[in-house]
Amino acid sequence: MELTISGIAKRFGAVEALRGVTLAVQPGEFFAILGPSGAGKTTLLRIIAGIDKPDDGTVLIDRRDLSQIPVRSRNTAMVFQTFALYPHLSTFENLAYPLREARVPGDEIKRRVGEIAEMLRLTHTLARKPGTLSGGEQQRCAIGRALVRRPQLLLLDEPLTNLDAKLRHDTRAEFKRLHRELKTTTIVYATPDQLEALSMGARVGVLNHGKIVQVGTPSDLYEMPGDDFVASLVGDPPINLVPGTLRAGAGGPSIDMPFLGLDAAPWRKSLNGFPAGTRLKVGLRPQAIWPRGGSEKGPVFPARVFLTEPLGDVTILDIVVGGDTRLRMVLPQEQAYKIAVNDAIECSIDLEQVCLFTQDTGTAISRAGVEAAA
Amino acid sequence: MANPSNRPIGKSGWGRTLGAAAVSIVYFFPVLYIILTAFKTRQDALAWPVKFIFTPTLENFVSVFYRTTVEGGAAEATGFGLYFFNSMFIGGTSVLLALIIGTAAAYGFSRFPLRGNETYLFMILTTRMMPPIIAIIPIFVLFRIFGLSGTYVGIIALYTAFNLPFSIWMVKSFFDDLDRDIEDAARMDGSSEFRLFRKICLPQVYAGLAATFVFAVILTWNEFVFALLLTGTQTRTVPVQIVRTIGGAIGVDWGLLSALETLFIIPVVLVTFALQNQLLRGVTFGTIRR
Ligand SMILES: Nc1ncnc2c1ncn2[C@@H]1O[C@H](COP(=O)(O)OP(=O)(O)OP(=O)(O)O)[C@@H](O)[C@H]1O
Ligand SMILES: [Mg+2]
Repeated sequence: MELTISGIAKRFGAVEALRGVTLAVQPGEFFAILGPSGAGKTTLLRIIAGIDKPDDGTVLIDRRDLSQIPVRSRNTAMVFQTFALYPHLSTFENLAYPLREARVPGDEIKRRVGEIAEMLRLTHTLARKPGTLSGGEQQRCAIGRALVRRPQLLLLDEPLTNLDAKLRHDTRAEFKRLHRELKTTTIVYATPDQLEALSMGARVGVLNHGKIVQVGTPSDLYEMPGDDFVASLVGDPPINLVPGTLRAGAGGPSIDMPFLGLDAAPWRKSLNGFPAGTRLKVGLRPQAIWPRGGSEKGPVFPARVFLTEPLGDVTILDIVVGGDTRLRMVLPQEQAYKIAVNDAIECSIDLEQVCLFTQDTGTAISRAGVEAAA
Repeated sequence: MANPSNRPIGKSGWGRTLGAAAVSIVYFFPVLYIILTAFKTRQDALAWPVKFIFTPTLENFVSVFYRTTVEGGAAEATGFGLYFFNSMFIGGTSVLLALIIGTAAAYGFSRFPLRGNETYLFMILTTRMMPPIIAIIPIFVLFRIFGLSGTYVGIIALYTAFNLPFSIWMVKSFFDDLDRDIEDAARMDGSSEFRLFRKICLPQVYAGLAATFVFAVILTWNEFVFALLLTGTQTRTVPVQIVRTIGGAIGVDWGLLSALETLFIIPVVLVTFALQNQLLRGVTFGTIRR
């Protein structure tokens, strides 16, 4: 099912929950909506589901206006953030409910509910009410209730938020498998977790304050964030944003950071319009900072280790550079174990992975020959 | 709900159990005293100090149904069976009616608010702000004009009207507390508005309905003033009959009175007991989920 959303606006009193959202989701696509809490994800999904009406804009499903399609023939299912299971009905009846409302014959209901329960490992809970299910079982029940109708459009609102880390991991894999098996079902998946969005979405739309700020593949978002908001939302640990000032020099433009000067040659074309002295933000991914080791891809600078956070396979280091600038970097365990708090080390930056943003609007400044994704 | 101590729920220490027992006895003592008195002879009932050990008798219960009302006369039927039936019939019917109408109204107020919804709700409540006795004269006149005095229809209509505000407010609060996402889910699953009410919302408030039912039954069961003025010999209720028993040439017959009251509380106790679990869930609605 193809989904085309244009110019959706929605306000609740003084709160502008959505401010002109425009999106196109391909048939059968796994599309993730990534946005922090309060960005408007739930509001958007409810409008796509046809539960709430937008103040402005249109939702087209297979080029037909949503409001013209009767609820029964919309073929849309939604998994609510709160699960919204029917508390007075057993798991079986919860799963059967959409089929009963569609007047599916009793023995077919039995068969289809059985299949879904089997697939989601809910068979042992069929006789029980939702209140007695574990968080994971409730979540699978909510997913089952959405899937049992074989929807053409599946809306998922933070379906993993209530699960523990392991179950989350398993269920992420489960969703991808499901999507493959369902073949034609279009999935819109809303989450505040960049890991979920990037690992599952074929494309990701980033929502901030009710506006889509960027749409792209996971690697687009990671490598060419459209602005500093996307840059800091995508990637874990979050990107370092360091203030910098543009300098004009004989050998071309450069950027002054408190601890380091950067050659701005890769951005020269885009920086043409900016006068010297323009204030910028330099985005340094923690993964792009390395201790000096002989094969530097960029400039070298001294640092002092402030904090170490060993996470098993990798360690996150907080380092202080140029007086009081703090940077975060990640190292594989085998490199990190030698480094202790307060050590003086030398680091280098992989220039290829540096992003540049304007200070005032946060818009990305693209590299020569590379168009930043819209 | 959090269990503050490490004790498994349901197993309190002896100290607490005894404390609770002591408080319960203080509350229950008057009821116990009435029940004991119901089984006492006239002499035992008046004995001082109070006798807790005595030979029980059923003579008071017999007198409830058959007794001499005039000195020296023969024992005759008192009509208590009819009055008992009246109390149950009038109370039960009016509470049920109020609950049905109240539930429909409450759902409307909760889900399809009118312009000025709050004002209507407030107005409904104002009818219960004054002592009902203030309205007695107009109601009495109304009943006379429409020939409702002494009829079942009249007193049932009146009790229904009295129970409605309470029912509407209680049941509305239960509907208000429901998770709206559940209804949206049902809408997406294809439910019509009526099925939404019948299959999704109503079953979720059953406990609340039971609680409302019990409270309304207790209030109605004990109503005296309007029953005294507006029922006739055929529609008289038990509270009226109890008061009529207090007088008499030979002073108050405490044993008889206690027997009446003992019989009188049985239905309320049974209803409350039968709905106990629902009642607990109903009155704690909102604090304990599921
Ligand atoms: N019914 C409502 N009434 C008033 N404000 C609302 C309502 N629903 C949403 N909002 C506001 O709209 C904004 C977007 O809310 P929304 O629930 O869509 O965010 P979200 O992205 O789903 O957040 P979360 O990740 O916390 O679920 C928030 O500021 C919220 O307070
Ligand atoms: Mg949400």
